[in-house]
Amino acid sequence: MGLLSQADIYVRRSSPLHRWEPRYKLMGFFALMLAFANVRDWRLILPMLATITALYRLAHLPLSILWQRLRYPGLILLGLVVALPFVAGETILWQGGGLTLRQEGCLALLLISARFISIMTLGLLLLATTPFVTLMRSLRSLGLPSLFVDMTLLTYRYLFDLGETLHTMQTALRLRGFGQQQRLRLGPLAALAGSLLIRSYEQSEQVYRAMRLRGYGSAQRFSTGTERRSPWHRVGFIAILLTALGLLSANFWLSEL
Amino acid sequence: MHIADGMVSAPVCLAGYGLTGLMTWLSLKQIHRTSEPTQGVPKAALLTSAFFVASLIHIPVPPASVHLVLNGLMGVVLGDYAFPAVLIGLFFQAVMFGHGGLSTLGINAVIMGLPALIAAQIFRRGRWLLRRTPRWGLGCAAFGAGAIALALSVVLFSSIVIMNLPANLDATVERAAILTLGVAHIPLIFLEGIFTALLALFLDRVKPELLKEQT
Repeated sequence: MGLLSQADIYVRRSSPLHRWEPRYKLMGFFALMLAFANVRDWRLILPMLATITALYRLAHLPLSILWQRLRYPGLILLGLVVALPFVAGETILWQGGGLTLRQEGCLALLLISARFISIMTLGLLLLATTPFVTLMRSLRSLGLPSLFVDMTLLTYRYLFDLGETLHTMQTALRLRGFGQQQRLRLGPLAALAGSLLIRSYEQSEQVYRAMRLRGYGSAQRFSTGTERRSPWHRVGFIAILLTALGLLSANFWLSEL
Repeated sequence: MHIADGMVSAPVCLAGYGLTGLMTWLSLKQIHRTSEPTQGVPKAALLTSAFFVASLIHIPVPPASVHLVLNGLMGVVLGDYAFPAVLIGLFFQAVMFGHGGLSTLGINAVIMGLPALIAAQIFRRGRWLLRRTPRWGLGCAAFGAGAIALALSVVLFSSIVIMNLPANLDATVERAAILTLGVAHIPLIFLEGIFTALLALFLDRVKPELLKEQT
């Protein structure tokens, strides 16, 4: 089901980004994500793309996974902003056939696309270099409430199961002739979704009992990772933080010009 | 209907995370008031998974197909767990399919989660007002909850996206864009309402405890 299962293939590699302490990686990437989101001047597009390219090379990941990741959401984004070069701005670059191409709109399109590519790639780097459970443990040790972490991990555990159940139920519906005609029949689809909810509700009662028997709710479940770490983890974090600060300052300086 | 990474600026992303943090904290505070807060975790988690998977069901609307949001029904069924559930669902949509994004997770959670909480109130009050005709009351309340939740999400989404585009749009163009996005979603709002009503009626018939008032 999507990227998370694909990313699992790559999390066991041994690149510098894979070995980086997850908490530093999380905090550093989040700061960088915000710095990327804050870029408002087209002159910072190149430094932003250079930063993300350097990080991608450090992760030793194939380009195919990046293409798979960007393809579909990229199309949706393009659908939302494709009109910008024709409706936003005052400086006319070209006119013809009833259309007017404007400079500000073109730059805005370029800026949004570059920010999108950079932030999406950063998200991919985080997920493809850190096992999901480790990521959740790191978030827990950074202060995310345990109830929320438990809910996320359980949701993740049962997403695939319920995805399979839905697939089986849809196959059964098709075998009974549903969907042969292109007619809108909401009743059977509502019953399908309802059955899925009821099955998961009933399963949750058994899951809770099993969890209680295994001691759920009685003790601290995650270690916060107090073992001695190499100073390079901190150096990496400081480097990322400085890059983020550099981008933020450059953006501020360029907007003041 | 998710804001993608890169579409809004850092202050908007941070404001989204701030609001989401506050709403999640309030929800967790409510949950911790119950005698055994961990008891609801498996139920909420499995229902979150089920809602996530159910939202992948494609509804054929010839010549294309659409998928539903179901945030109204999430509010109705999950109660205090609804906001964390929406947040988790959006997180998985972002990491699995690239819908939305990690930098915009906070703002997307507000767009989907706030209407879910409002929908829960609409459902509760609607059901109480129409208590003399229980089946009709349930259907109408569920329709209102589903349709209004999606309508609110559309309004929030369109306003945030259009007002945060980096190029200076003309005010008239801005208004027209918001209006166009809103009008384009009207059939989907009705579809969501009808589907939510049918689903609520089904649940009421087969497993009514799923619709009872959450504590």
